[in-house]
Amino acid sequence: MKLPLSWLKEFVPIQAGADEISHRLSVAGLEVENVERMRPSFAGVTVGRVLSVERHPNADRLSLCDVDAGQFGRFRVVCGAPNVHAGMVAPFARVGARLGGLHKAGEAAQSLEEVPPLQAAEIRGVRSEGMLCSGRELGLSDDHSGILELEGDAPLGGDLASYLDLDETVFDVAITPNRGDCLSILGLAREVAALFGLKLKPPRVKPPKAAGGECPDIEIHAADLCRRYAGLPMGSIRIGAAPAWMRRRLELCGMRALNNVVDVTNYVMLERGQPLHAFDLDRIAGGKIVVRRAGADREFVTLDNIRRQLSPDDLMIADARRPLAIAGVMGGLDCEVSGATTRILLESAFFEPITIARTARRLGLRSEASYRFERGIDREGQLAAISRAAELIRKWAGGRELAPVRDVEPEAAAKREIELDLRRAADLLGITLPRDEVRRRLISIGAAVHNLGRDRLGVIAPSFRPDLNETADLAEEIGRLRGFEEVTDHLPERPARIMPRDPKRAFAARTRDIMLGCGLTEIRTIAFIAPDDNRRFPGFESAQPVVVANPLSTELSELRISLMPGLLAALRFNLNRQATAMHAFEIAKTFARRGDLPAESMRMAAVSYGTYMIPAVGAPPVEAGFFSIKGILENYFRALGIMDEIAFAAIDPARAPYLHPGMAAEIRLAGSLIGVAGELHPQEGARMELNRRCALFELDFGALSGFEPPPKAIQPPPRFPAVRRDLALVIDRAVAGATVLETIAQLNQPMLESVEIFDVYTGEGIAPDKKSIALSLRYRNKERTLTDEEVNRMHEELTGAVLPRLNAQMRQ
Amino acid sequence: MICQAVESEHTARKDTEEQAKMREQLEAIRQRALAQLADDATADQIENVRVAILGRSGELTAIMRGMREVPAQERPAIGQLVNRIKRELEARIEALQERQQRARMQRALAEERIDVTLPGTRIGRGRVHPLTQVADQMIGLFEAMGFEVIATQDVDDDFHNFSALNFPPDHPAREMQDTFFLPGGMLLRTHTSNGQIHVMQHRQPPLAIICPGNCYRRDELSVRASPMFSQIEGFMVDQAGLVTMAHLKGVLSEFLRGFFGAATKVRFRASFFPFTEPSAEVDISCVLCGGAGCRVCKQTGWVEILGSGMIHPNVLRAVGYDPAQYQGFAFGIGIERIALLKLGVDDMRLFFENDLRFLEQF
Repeated sequence: MKLPLSWLKEFVPIQAGADEISHRLSVAGLEVENVERMRPSFAGVTVGRVLSVERHPNADRLSLCDVDAGQFGRFRVVCGAPNVHAGMVAPFARVGARLGGLHKAGEAAQSLEEVPPLQAAEIRGVRSEGMLCSGRELGLSDDHSGILELEGDAPLGGDLASYLDLDETVFDVAITPNRGDCLSILGLAREVAALFGLKLKPPRVKPPKAAGGECPDIEIHAADLCRRYAGLPMGSIRIGAAPAWMRRRLELCGMRALNNVVDVTNYVMLERGQPLHAFDLDRIAGGKIVVRRAGADREFVTLDNIRRQLSPDDLMIADARRPLAIAGVMGGLDCEVSGATTRILLESAFFEPITIARTARRLGLRSEASYRFERGIDREGQLAAISRAAELIRKWAGGRELAPVRDVEPEAAAKREIELDLRRAADLLGITLPRDEVRRRLISIGAAVHNLGRDRLGVIAPSFRPDLNETADLAEEIGRLRGFEEVTDHLPERPARIMPRDPKRAFAARTRDIMLGCGLTEIRTIAFIAPDDNRRFPGFESAQPVVVANPLSTELSELRISLMPGLLAALRFNLNRQATAMHAFEIAKTFARRGDLPAESMRMAAVSYGTYMIPAVGAPPVEAGFFSIKGILENYFRALGIMDEIAFAAIDPARAPYLHPGMAAEIRLAGSLIGVAGELHPQEGARMELNRRCALFELDFGALSGFEPPPKAIQPPPRFPAVRRDLALVIDRAVAGATVLETIAQLNQPMLESVEIFDVYTGEGIAPDKKSIALSLRYRNKERTLTDEEVNRMHEELTGAVLPRLNAQMRQ
Repeated sequence: MICQAVESEHTARKDTEEQAKMREQLEAIRQRALAQLADDATADQIENVRVAILGRSGELTAIMRGMREVPAQERPAIGQLVNRIKRELEARIEALQERQQRARMQRALAEERIDVTLPGTRIGRGRVHPLTQVADQMIGLFEAMGFEVIATQDVDDDFHNFSALNFPPDHPAREMQDTFFLPGGMLLRTHTSNGQIHVMQHRQPPLAIICPGNCYRRDELSVRASPMFSQIEGFMVDQAGLVTMAHLKGVLSEFLRGFFGAATKVRFRASFFPFTEPSAEVDISCVLCGGAGCRVCKQTGWVEILGSGMIHPNVLRAVGYDPAQYQGFAFGIGIERIALLKLGVDDMRLFFENDLRFLEQF
């Protein structure tokens, strides 16, 4: 809401400066977002009258003008404008004046002091003592076609800036949804008066002149949506321009001036917050106004000449035949006030906020009127507003009342009495509240207050404050008017109690630490992705996507099933900016449909691309790939102490079609699938124009953080040495290393402490469908040192048992 | 060594001629060997001397082997002499070899010199995302003040996100938070305030809780906004009169001074939120200019930092608390906003683009 200071001063005798007003309003809940100080872009320009015009003796296109500048005297001026004529009232710049628009054509100078003062000049042999100005030269407009013509009654010799009211300060106040009453100059003036302890001087409104005619009938068929409807017919209207001061005030408040009748309705709305509408009375059929739901009416053409689709519950203003306006939102093209209008019907009504909000939102039609109705206007302000409009139309559009106001109110507004519990209010604010102060502050915002006994006040809320309903609301009024800085800070007294820590947060923090150590950087991506991304990366459980009903765009129309598309997009983003490697992870929520409902789960995923281990200069680097990312996971699981519960196995390619079918693994924790790891499918890689290998993993973070590893007893280090024996087996190529290790483990050799694979070989000397796998086995007896003979015996036994189980031969 | 030689001559006074001849012979071997074991002898030369004199079939070894031909009474003296020469030569050889090994080591070390200014073998260091760092710091301060952390759901229903928080249907206040709707009557929460409802439905006062998490509003990703962002909701509820606006101010001022520094000034401005009454927005003295006025604070000296207030009686009613018995305060802090101020950057997109050149600065 724009608040021009000059308009505010009409209702409150405020002396404080703009900064002080701005600060007090802001602290009291009416945030001033901007203070615009308007200054004229000229100085030393007065109102002058052209007394006579003669041809310049030496130039056809120039004229010599005799200008009367009132108190400053008469001047002879050379002028080149085609429209100059005797009797014209125009801006006259005296010698020494500064013209911002003259300095840089079409653009005001930064500072008027930079503009050189106007000097007397000889033009084609005639001395010119000043200058008649165009709109552009004054920086008022782009018009340079001729001299700006002023109204005939402008004061000769008067300062042009003050005549045009160009010295102005306009506050831009952000109005919260609960303060519809402050969507008016008068409402803001009431606040300013209350905050500065001043007296509000509302304009005195004269009741409409009595007239003997008939007002159209008003029927309210939707009393639940329209609480009151007042109509006033006026005739003898002469449509024309509204006075300059009114037009300027509308423009200062961000509205366009149209004609005197429409401008008056808007002016009264800005002044009092009550939207008004003017219908062309001669276009109303059947002599009556019907306020009803749209019902069977499907379409309506609004005055902006757009055909609007109606919903049956939209509230309409109709006549006997057809709808005339969408109530509170916009009038119809059919009965708009036009240049030919001579008789009007003024409307001043109270519509239920919800119906207006619903219709305006559905039609995407926000008007100054709907904005105010939605937020709740003064429940009892209709008659004052219609009277004020009638008064202005009488004065500025020549109108006459044709009949008394017809005021239909199916049910009178109930007085809302709030029982204010002073102790509760003090408890909420944490301050003591003297009864006198409470009374004074509530009266200052328009409430009526009476005593109800000890610690109780009866408060009748003003009709323009529907937001005041209970003690808490009144506590806020008292608190904000006094200022919250008056509330002394206190820290709560609380028992010294250990607060339980959220184990999931601690787990995530631990995970981050481990990932950092593995060289992965945490990233954050947005949960919205394109449907195509979900189709290509459906997670590892083939979930169905959650589709957003009202997405920002198609590209952001689904919620991610997997974190991988986000990680890959971040990779592409960085590669496009000359990065050559990226190793990143994200812990975040993913979304999938469970039954018909959207459900969320916590995931962790990582991408690793390019050089992973950076060698010393000249040595070969370790590139990201399956084994580097698997190494990260193994580090992670070991750090968590759950490596014994983890199993990697070759993946069913259908589970993760986005991964390389031969270089991907599924990951199980205590037998349950918790994720996948692998290299990106080369087809996806080509699609993303990746030219190096790209490894990824994704884990069910919720399952992981909820897993409790079995308790482990701490062992002292062994006292007796272990003995190592190697074993090289030739087995089928398809047999996995893990199978070999499991087969050996199943033999339960009690002295076998560990088995590791240290080489896998294919090629010369090995049949093409076979591979050689070299194992290192460590035997240890915890009680004593093993002898060579014992170890040899155990190792031979074990080898003998392993060979048939794996269909293996010893490597020769 | 020369002294030893003089001594040997002295003790040899009463030696027989045979003995003298033997002594001469030994002395000759000794002199010859020492001459060959010159300071600049090569490793091969030294080895040759060792083999020729001390080796299995070397000259001294041969003499020792021939000792039984020496008369018995003379054997000890000759034996001593042979041993002395043997030890002398061995010591000499050892000294020479040691010197040569030192020289070889010097040469090798000189050859193995590397450029220690070149970088080492490494994997890159990962970074924690700045939003996580800022959130952790904030949460840590509230935990230190006795708040319990409870994360609640992003996908929620109208009741928890709006109705229970005193947003009536079609109320214009809902438009302050343009909502993403999901199938099945669900939505993406527009604020972490839904945490208040979830917690209060299942717990009884006294409560001191913070609920961090992501929120979603229909804003395009831009310098100022993101369709997904994060907040920390906090609330404290207790018997009426125990947790007041004064305590709200105390807790938030303490937090803001803890986070932005002890000199931070805090200002409470009346405002409106459907779920608090009274409501206050909180400003702090500008982190950049300290209150003098600059670009960040738009010359006002203050920056808006969070929203807060006393929990609205209708919210307490919605979770089954009696507003005559209980009261409390609540606040919501946008983590991105705090992070922008704390880090001194002015573009929200930086947090979600994941440009490594940005992230690697943290």
